Amino acid sequence: MIAIIRRELVNVFRSKTSFAMQVGLGLIFALLVVLRWPTEGQVDLANTTATEVFRIFGYGLLIVLVLMAPAFPATSVVREKNKGTLALLFNSMIPPWRIYLGKLIGVCGFLFLLLILSLPAAAACMSMGGISFYSEFLPLYGVLGLLSVHYAVLGLWISCRATSADSSLKTTYFVILTTAVVSLVPYLLLQGSDSIVTQLAWWLRSLSPIPAVMEILGDGDVGNQGINTTEGALGAAGRFMLVAGVTTLALICDTLARFNHRLFDKPRSQELMADDMDGRSQIVRRMFFVVDPQRRKSGILPFFNPVLIKEFRTRKFGRSHWLLRIISLCAITSMILAFMASQSSENWGPEIIGGIMVLLQAGLIVLFTPSLAAGLISGEIESGGWQLLQMTPMSAWRIVLGKLLSVIWTMAIVLSATLPGYLVLAWIVPEKSSQIYQVLICLLWASFFSVFVSAAISSLFRKTAPATVTAYAVLSSMYVITLFVWLFRGKPFGHRVVENVLSINPIAAAMQVIETPGFETFDLVRSNWVIMGVGCMASLVLLIVQTYRLTQPR
Amino acid sequence: MSKPVVETRNLTKQYGSFVALDDLSISLQQGQILGFIGPNGAGKTTTIKILVGLSKPSAGSAFIDGVDCFRHARKIKRLVGYMPDTFGSYDNMRVREYLDFFGAAFEIPWSERGKRIDEVLETTNATYMKDRYVESLSHGMKQRVGIARTLLHDPQVLILDEPANGLDPQARIEMREILLNLASMGKTLIVTSHILPELSRICDQVAIITQGKLRAYGSLADIMKNVSQTRTVEIQLLGGEQTIKAFAALKEMLPAESSLSKSDAESVVRFQSDHSEAEMADLLKQLVQRDVGVSQFRELQTDLEDAFLSVTKASTSGGVASK
Repeated sequence: MIAIIRRELVNVFRSKTSFAMQVGLGLIFALLVVLRWPTEGQVDLANTTATEVFRIFGYGLLIVLVLMAPAFPATSVVREKNKGTLALLFNSMIPPWRIYLGKLIGVCGFLFLLLILSLPAAAACMSMGGISFYSEFLPLYGVLGLLSVHYAVLGLWISCRATSADSSLKTTYFVILTTAVVSLVPYLLLQGSDSIVTQLAWWLRSLSPIPAVMEILGDGDVGNQGINTTEGALGAAGRFMLVAGVTTLALICDTLARFNHRLFDKPRSQELMADDMDGRSQIVRRMFFVVDPQRRKSGILPFFNPVLIKEFRTRKFGRSHWLLRIISLCAITSMILAFMASQSSENWGPEIIGGIMVLLQAGLIVLFTPSLAAGLISGEIESGGWQLLQMTPMSAWRIVLGKLLSVIWTMAIVLSATLPGYLVLAWIVPEKSSQIYQVLICLLWASFFSVFVSAAISSLFRKTAPATVTAYAVLSSMYVITLFVWLFRGKPFGHRVVENVLSINPIAAAMQVIETPGFETFDLVRSNWVIMGVGCMASLVLLIVQTYRLTQPR
Repeated sequence: MSKPVVETRNLTKQYGSFVALDDLSISLQQGQILGFIGPNGAGKTTTIKILVGLSKPSAGSAFIDGVDCFRHARKIKRLVGYMPDTFGSYDNMRVREYLDFFGAAFEIPWSERGKRIDEVLETTNATYMKDRYVESLSHGMKQRVGIARTLLHDPQVLILDEPANGLDPQARIEMREILLNLASMGKTLIVTSHILPELSRICDQVAIITQGKLRAYGSLADIMKNVSQTRTVEIQLLGGEQTIKAFAALKEMLPAESSLSKSDAESVVRFQSDHSEAEMADLLKQLVQRDVGVSQFRELQTDLEDAFLSVTKASTSGGVASK
């Protein structure tokens, strides 16, 4: 097991990326404390400076963990399985549970190191006074430590089931961002009633570490609508630790049950052809899928870009039956939200409903775009398909266009499914129509920007996994970390600073347009549209230049 | 002689100070099969990449059907079908869809594409795979689909990088037949392989390359002749006593550098000689006159493996067994 830990952990430490991450984080934490360290001979009796720094610090660590934690465990098992080294390990005298434990310790070790790197800065906050060791410091590190283990276990669990490092990474990011952010939404909508559904939503939000960290840092509840949230005897932190602890144990047991020959015992894809089945089976399948994925497809028509069709046919979410499912889900959610707005419940105006719709769409953009676009070029290079594409008479521009259109179409279809919600909103509040159009333009910019940036990133890598991680990190930083700065508006960040930071976030601009509480005081739209335009152009130029370079003889 | 279909002139490729390919000149006629052999890292793939327009030569030039491989890379794509050593498959794609995609990429009209796919699948004996998922195919099946893909746009020249790699004996025989069939259709083939007995059965021309240099080039018979100036002769005798007798007689008759050896268990004596056919006949006559019981007197054939080993050995020791 020591050998596995050495390979998993020490090799990670030796990599340039992890070294850069460690140094970068250490510097950021140190800088944070240095900037807020009291320089005047006055006593801060309320200890506001220390509390502010500790809050930024706590949320910063949470974001770092959410963004970085999936990168290592998600590829750990599947990469070894595909390389064949996992089979060699299983063939050795080391029992499977020790191999698993070695991997888990290796991944957790790195995440713990990131937490340890933050300890000196946290200690400096404590020395400024006003931070309780037992009620703030220890619970925060307890929650973050458990979160590291939880995400490592989750990543390994997904990695055991995935067929490629890339798909494992995408799934892990999808699950983590969904459990951390989307799990908060049902309770946000249902809070205030005592129904069973509300109770379920209350427990569902315990999957997210955000309420727990907010509670520890004394920020109340996320999206609190003025309703006194009953956290029960355990509190949000206690509930998170209970839910995360139980799910971690369950995932470990399930992974260990699978961590043997079953990993390799997988049948080949079914060669089923719907066209060769009897009429009744075909009808049943047609009713279930609407567009049957197993039917024989016609050739690529002359006026279509072959790369565009190829992308749609080979990508899971690009395939018609999946698209239809996503569209239906988006349309239903959007209509429910619009219906709620039309009911004008006591606490919910069109501004809040609009804000939630914008956030949901932002979630869709952040979750889907890197997953679709970050492998456009890198995936092709990794699979060996790029060399074959180079051997065809297709120009670099045609390849780029086909690939970009495949993502833009998918995103357009998914996002347009939420349009009915906006239309209902515009019908209910006609005076908001022009604002709604502006919101849609902001979302359009966000989509284009996300697609172009992810695609440009994909052209810089030779493997999909690092391209995906980079694309998720860049987009999450733009859309999530800027909102994190907004969370600290007034203290310590001034209005001007927050406005400048938010101006790079099209989602913030959309929320300002629709006058979501907390955003209405900023002026973001014009500067955001300029930034998005420049960003889109720069990314597109980079993508075209890089693709042209890749198609040229070396 | 007609105009060569494939020609390289003093082709050189350097990566910094490392010379991957040094002054390579070869030419091939239509319908010929060139076996391009060499150890790993010898420069085979570098040559191929220059020929298909994926790499830029540092010096020299390469032509396919008179078209410069680097200057007119787009034209070259229509003239060459290239099968790299990696397959390059896509998920969730069936063989027909996979070929349809490359057919569309090669701008084969939609109305003709279906027919063309059927033709290339038939040529490569892969028709039964058309509804199967590409990723579920075995290695041998993928190789056949790979060749079908290279044939889609009906290129004049096929360049196949390790097509027999990882194939079982049955699949190798099938692959050999497919390649011979393609040559009979007038296609010019360049095939790299480590499986030399397979190559020796199908190639008209052989090029042996090591450390970026062409060590031997020509027909297999020419190379054998150049490589093996001396012949290995094996004499089968009637038992152990006769073996000793023959060994003693030959020791007297042959010069010391003949590498004379005997195997009592096999009742065989072997030696190397540069004797002519007449001198060989005289040698046999003398043995018979000395009452040596000879049951067989034969020359051991040098095969491509021997030639390859001889050439690579010569190149590592500084000598070059070139044409």
